[in-house]
Amino acid sequence: MKLAYKLVPKGAGNGVVPLSLAFIDKKDIDSVGVSYREACQMVANNHKEDAISINVIDCDAITVTSDGIIADGAVVAFASADRGKINKDFGYMTVSEIPYSEKTIAEEPHMKQWNTPFYRGRRLHRGPNAEDRKPLESHNENMTMTGRMTNNNTGSEMMNVVDMTEILVPFFGQTEIIKDGNLLLGLAGPVISVGIGMIVRERQGRIFGWNYGAGKTAHNSGEFAKTVKSDYPALAADKKVLAEYILRALDINMVPGRDIGCSPAVLSLAKAYGKPIAFDNIEESAWVELESVGFSREKLEAPSKVMSRDEIIANADEIIPGMEDGIKYKASELVEKRFAEK
Amino acid sequence: MRMMHTKLHDFYQKIIDAGKKIRPNTEVTFRGLESFQTGKLPSLRVGRVENEIVEITQDPGVEKVEVIIIPRNTESFHSVIIKGIQKDGTCKKAILENMHISSPGEDYYLHDVEEIDDRRTSL
Repeated sequence: MKLAYKLVPKGAGNGVVPLSLAFIDKKDIDSVGVSYREACQMVANNHKEDAISINVIDCDAITVTSDGIIADGAVVAFASADRGKINKDFGYMTVSEIPYSEKTIAEEPHMKQWNTPFYRGRRLHRGPNAEDRKPLESHNENMTMTGRMTNNNTGSEMMNVVDMTEILVPFFGQTEIIKDGNLLLGLAGPVISVGIGMIVRERQGRIFGWNYGAGKTAHNSGEFAKTVKSDYPALAADKKVLAEYILRALDINMVPGRDIGCSPAVLSLAKAYGKPIAFDNIEESAWVELESVGFSREKLEAPSKVMSRDEIIANADEIIPGMEDGIKYKASELVEKRFAEK
Repeated sequence: MRMMHTKLHDFYQKIIDAGKKIRPNTEVTFRGLESFQTGKLPSLRVGRVENEIVEITQDPGVEKVEVIIIPRNTESFHSVIIKGIQKDGTCKKAILENMHISSPGEDYYLHDVEEIDDRRTSL
């Protein structure tokens, strides 16, 4: 049987995508009857001249974005391949399920989203656990690496460490690729660069762990935060998709800076939706970074028109800042459907 | 202790000697440990490497031996030691910082090799 997968080829989007990226739907792997690792190797075998990242997406599971928003779908395994090979020690990693527990809900306020009708009862996969990560040490990142290719932060930052090309693929973009949805491709720019650092505290997170909570900045680098990932190409979901998921969190009274991260996207939507922001809980170091991209407390507290859910979705492009020279694409314009054989 | 461990600089000489053992004209290069000023290596492992270098040169077609030593973990964790040196050569203050380096593993060096005999211990 042939295994179907999605390929964003190097050079897609008029050359903006610098690396080849493969995405496999877990359902397609199940239908072929191979393991995730075998599926990744089948895809790697199709790219013997190339370095390529490979993510396995379970659309029935859920995951959490770095700013604490629950998303449909999850990366359940990820790999790096180069010239058809996946390194046996460092080239592949599974991401084990995190079982539901009241302790998680109590300790991690953003996880209250798990109990909403959208997500209740669904399997959660965030980052790899200690067993998944072996033989990596505790100080290593959630990264796979084979030859030139690294697939970092549980499959959301891909890099060729020889020619030093990189791309960010925020998780909502990955599910749009799998679903043939709508994408936004451009340069991350300073706003997304700052936003990536505004995270939540969670155990076994996709990118970060327990050190930094809502209202803090993981970058903690002042005005330099806006430059750290500014020049990266980014392949993201259409902003309407992002708005829908953030609104779901705001609808159950998740407060930016207290329960969910204080990224510019979350703050912008909370202000437009008339929802509270935990201003006093946002630390000075985070304010410095937010102000460097135009998000001051004064501006956020200033009166403004409160919009309905539908108005926000319709105007998501104007409300949510970030992404430079972004061009909207139907996924089919960037993504090729390919097949791999055992 | 001399029996158990090999000095770094003795290791370099042993690599050269092993590479030239069968055919003295064989070119031998080694790289990867340039930042190590000193160090001790397990003598048994050094002996294995010496034997393996000799084994590689048993193929009469081999004219040159390359020995490349890289971190086994592709994301290595380093300490950065920043020293401010005074005019008299002393150091009053130093700062320590972390640095992760993700660099290509063995795959990068072996992509065009026909046969790879992996004798490393498993991790």
